[in-house]
Amino acid sequence: MAPIIQMKDLTKKFGNVVAVDHLNLEIEEGEILGLLGPNGAGKTTVILMLATVIRPNDGTAVVGEYDIRKNPDKVRGLLGIAFQEPKMLWVTTAWDLLNWHAKVCGLSTEERKRRVKEVLDAVEMWDHRKKTVHQLSGGMRKRVEVAKVLIQRPRIAIVDEPTAQIDIVGKHKIWNMLSDLRKEGTTMILATNELYEADVLSDRVGILHKGKLLVCDTPKKLKDSIVGGDIIDIQLDMDVTARIIEDLQGFKEVVKVMQIKPTNLRLYLNRVEEVVPRIMNTLQKANAPISSIRMSEPSLDDVFAHYTGLTIEEAQKGGE
Amino acid sequence: MESEAETNKLLLVIERDIRLFFQYKFLIIMRAIWFVSQIALFGLISSRMMSIPNYFQYYVSGLSVMTLYSAAIFIGFDIYEEAEHGVFEYLLSLPVSRKQLVLGRSIGGGLRSFIYVGPLIALSLFVINAISPLNFLVSLVALFLFSFGVSGMSITIAVIIKSSDRFDIFMGVLDALIVRLSTAMYPLAIVQQSNPFYGWIANFNPVTYAADLFRWGTGIESIITLSNPLLPFLGVVVFFGFFTLFGVVIYERMIEGGGWQ
Repeated sequence: MAPIIQMKDLTKKFGNVVAVDHLNLEIEEGEILGLLGPNGAGKTTVILMLATVIRPNDGTAVVGEYDIRKNPDKVRGLLGIAFQEPKMLWVTTAWDLLNWHAKVCGLSTEERKRRVKEVLDAVEMWDHRKKTVHQLSGGMRKRVEVAKVLIQRPRIAIVDEPTAQIDIVGKHKIWNMLSDLRKEGTTMILATNELYEADVLSDRVGILHKGKLLVCDTPKKLKDSIVGGDIIDIQLDMDVTARIIEDLQGFKEVVKVMQIKPTNLRLYLNRVEEVVPRIMNTLQKANAPISSIRMSEPSLDDVFAHYTGLTIEEAQKGGE
Repeated sequence: MESEAETNKLLLVIERDIRLFFQYKFLIIMRAIWFVSQIALFGLISSRMMSIPNYFQYYVSGLSVMTLYSAAIFIGFDIYEEAEHGVFEYLLSLPVSRKQLVLGRSIGGGLRSFIYVGPLIALSLFVINAISPLNFLVSLVALFLFSFGVSGMSITIAVIIKSSDRFDIFMGVLDALIVRLSTAMYPLAIVQQSNPFYGWIANFNPVTYAADLFRWGTGIESIITLSNPLLPFLGVVVFFGFFTLFGVVIYERMIEGGGWQ
């Protein structure tokens, strides 16, 4: 099956600044693709190009069966967007805004009323529906922005930092709603600089940095791609011997063995879940009783740092 | 079926602009107070200074057209408000074509100003105590088209200038020129007497067309000597047509592709 979105050398420049640099990326129908990167990485520019709000300088993208340059009206008919910054005038009420959005997206009167009520209830905004945007807090405005997409249920949803400014309980609610939206068949692009969010929701994650796509794969494969990214801390009931270290270094998955304390070892390795039983077996054979064992996988933070050489905070500081 | 859906979208764009305008309650009340003050104070007092017969009626009808003009201009300020709040990007991302968007906004901007100015026009008709039903209907259509044209012009200028401060200043200057070089406040003969060039410009001014047609429609034509109402009517149609079509082209060219940023 052909991908639902194909970006081909998609490029956008603002003056001398290359915001998006020859981006090639395909998104399968029904998947959630996380676009991960700091502010200024080019995520929002990619989104605006796909939504035909801005035109690429070079390259193009095919959304559904339509080229964003040739059939922008048709492309917009497939998309729904929740912007990073809520896009609303302060004099309008949440209800007016969502009701009009539902109308313009072609929902029937009955369906519109039902969905607006349902979604406003779900994002806990029903009681605030008659308040003007001016009277809403930043988090409330953000919930109204996300509600647009949840009401619309488009074939392709683009959500730009959907849980920024939202508390942790609210974040989980929105994540659940976005997951439900996907279950109904919506393909989703999730632009975020929250690594945990990308990890929890995305089938694949693309890391954007300075307008370039550095890598794109499943979160698991990305984590596994860091050589020695998994860590095991082992505490023995006896001092570690040179023989034990030698045995552990014999595993091809083990990249490095460090003795932290006389009884403690730290192993840097790949595919931790496959190797642990064999390591335990080896230690048992060496008559080295294990007092405790703790495993940790790399996070997307580590993946980001691995590919950019920067933590996401450092990259934010150097962003646009 | 598809064309019905497309028409609905156009109507929704129009509906949005009308609803939005009436959210600005303070502005609406203040403008109404301004209008009444102009009639009750300036109109009454200045008419005593004028040698022109029935100048008070003349002024009130001209003021209605000026108010319609300034209300229709307001859509341009909305565009900046929307740009500031990012609503522009939202509108551009909707499943609405650019043509529907600009046409809807021109019509919405014109219609809402007409709805707003409607009661004021009724008030002015009451004050000047003059109406000729058939003529008035024709002049009403002309005022409709005039207000759509002014909205289209405001949108066109707003997207070309791309700066709210500059737009504000430019529209102030344009307002001064377009209103003062028209027959909104004084008859064409007097404009021509003061300077034939001014008179020539006033002859081709949409505000003149709208004001003359309104006076003709309300039966105050004795002092404007409008021999053929078809000419100003055509003038208004051309004005409306130009800025609606030109507006669509400019809007697409300036906005599509992120030209606004």
